Amino acid sequence: MATDDPTDVLVIGAGASGAAVAWRLSGAGIGVVCLEQGDWVDPRAYPHWRADWELHRQTDWSAEPNVRRLPQDYPVNDRASSISPLMYNAVGGSTIHWSAHFPRFRPSDFRVRSLDGVADDWPIDYATLEPFFDLNDRMMGVAGITGDPAYPPKSPRQTPPIPLDTLGATIAGGFERLGWHWWPSDSAILTRDYDGRRACVNCGPCDLGCPIGAKASTDVTYWPKALAAGARLVTRARVREITLGPDGLADGAIYYDREGRVRAQKARAVVLAANGIGTPRLLLNSRSARFPDGLANRSGLVGRNLMFHPYAMVRGTFDRPLGGHRGPIGCSIISQEFYETDLSRGFVRGYSFQVARGLSPIASANGGSVGDRVPWGREHRRAYDERFDRTITVAIIGEDLPEPGNRVDLDPALADDHGIPAPAVSYTLSENSRRMLDHGIARGREALEAAGAREVAFNPLLRAGGWHLMGTARMGRDPATSVIDPEGRCHDVPNLYIVDGSAMVTSAGVNPTSTIQAVALYVADGMTRRRA
Amino acid sequence: MTPGALAARRDLLALVLDTLVPASAGFPGAGAVGLDHVLAVAAASADLESLLWRGLQVVEEAARAQGGSGFAQLSPDDRESVLRQVEQSHADFFDALVRHTYDGYYGHPTVVARLGLDPGPLQPRGHRIEAADLPDLTRVTARGPIYRQA
Repeated sequence: MATDDPTDVLVIGAGASGAAVAWRLSGAGIGVVCLEQGDWVDPRAYPHWRADWELHRQTDWSAEPNVRRLPQDYPVNDRASSISPLMYNAVGGSTIHWSAHFPRFRPSDFRVRSLDGVADDWPIDYATLEPFFDLNDRMMGVAGITGDPAYPPKSPRQTPPIPLDTLGATIAGGFERLGWHWWPSDSAILTRDYDGRRACVNCGPCDLGCPIGAKASTDVTYWPKALAAGARLVTRARVREITLGPDGLADGAIYYDREGRVRAQKARAVVLAANGIGTPRLLLNSRSARFPDGLANRSGLVGRNLMFHPYAMVRGTFDRPLGGHRGPIGCSIISQEFYETDLSRGFVRGYSFQVARGLSPIASANGGSVGDRVPWGREHRRAYDERFDRTITVAIIGEDLPEPGNRVDLDPALADDHGIPAPAVSYTLSENSRRMLDHGIARGREALEAAGAREVAFNPLLRAGGWHLMGTARMGRDPATSVIDPEGRCHDVPNLYIVDGSAMVTSAGVNPTSTIQAVALYVADGMTRRRA
Repeated sequence: MTPGALAARRDLLALVLDTLVPASAGFPGAGAVGLDHVLAVAAASADLESLLWRGLQVVEEAARAQGGSGFAQLSPDDRESVLRQVEQSHADFFDALVRHTYDGYYGHPTVVARLGLDPGPLQPRGHRIEAADLPDLTRVTARGPIYRQA
């Protein structure tokens, strides 16, 4: 087996959190090697440069690895899950295909046990993370407006907000009429040139990647700076297992290189940044006599407490064109009217409304996220024309509470192209989440009708909605009830760190990437202070 | 079924597609602009080609059961009636058929242009959004903080 030159810190995964850690550590003069199973995405390869761009959403640019099936993907057995996990394997990770909706967790999200008697408090709080939120905002570049009363005051946004346009102004009018909270979304998408990157030209489908770098995928934000600072990034490098030295500490990893050769990378510390499914998969695949149930898994919690954000989708149809094909697909406005706990609603914790843009031609025909296909036959033309460019979809993104039965395990039969056992996901929507989503559907209908919708349809649970993978190696003070400590170190292996969504104690009711990255920078800051 | 067998039935498939999305209001029928896509995706997947080929057999059999000599000889109303029957009896076939027909049809430049959009690549042109003043958030901010201190 070939052995690479040893390094100070090995980072596994080059996505949202791995890139942030690599940048922070390399900037402090710490040697960093990052192993990434995907490759760089050539900006010219994005489908936006082709007339048939929309067809690629269902094939090679699908967010579902089981649909995409690229060589760098691994299969996920999700037959026992009501939500399909989504991810992307590349430099930039899932920030390649995210919509860059960029809210933060709120202060109460870190204190759910103390405030609401459910789940667990985080061992860190909003105030601790605030400087890292701000630092991350500067690195990613955020469009928005300060002053949102749903949050403590934030630092100035890097660029003005994404324009509401006709669609956003229409739904905002509904929230206004109801007297509910709404705010132009914080979006990690530039509306002005910033930090050497270009402003968005409002082409639309951010979920297929951003060919001009206006959207903050970490291949265009953190990585160029990390590489300039000396970090080394190895692509098409699929890690098979993390290795331990005789002292019981992590000493590196064994991986398959681009040509399929087995190699060893030694390091003084290892950082896992492989997402909420990839990280527990790797730990469970790293079994040894010392850790027969998987590395750093004496608690038995590796892979458990998987949280997605369950999404319900409510779509209103209007009598006039809304220009929904213009502008970033996932970002117009957010409402957090029903975010904090109010037990009179019949559930604990809460949710956000995320209002996206309109549906493109093929998505309109197939019903978009609601999934109600336009009827075929003689009525097709009329039915399609009544829908195309006349819909607004409100997503209800509910806080998912951690439950041990929702988990990632290893599939006994399924494996990737290298023969590494694949993950199997088990997930059942909780009764609390169901009640929460039902409340959101009813309130979403109110908002759409107040905005002028003449017809409302909904999807009670979006199956292809597992964008957010959280909780499977959670942070805590007690080694019996958590996998990593408040500094991001595994209780069982103190030089093994976890910085991706696996670390999340709870999921909040907002998109998590901003918070995942803030936690990653916080952990990296501690490593820097301790010099890894 | 031999490879290419579906392509050999392209005339029948085109009629089926035209029944799913008939020409109307200046829009072409799906048989004219969606057919090539359906054949292309079928040619790339033996399973899909087999599913569609067998489904067309069912369509023809259902058409003959109506007393005619085949689907092509039916009136447009009767064609739709036959397809509604097959939709019920062979849901997997029909779901795949409609999905790929819609993909091909609404991905076709002619149809995209008829919808009023530029059918070319999205980049580098993007879309123009008229500049607007920042939204009036007075009412929202007047409520004061709505988050819990923790």
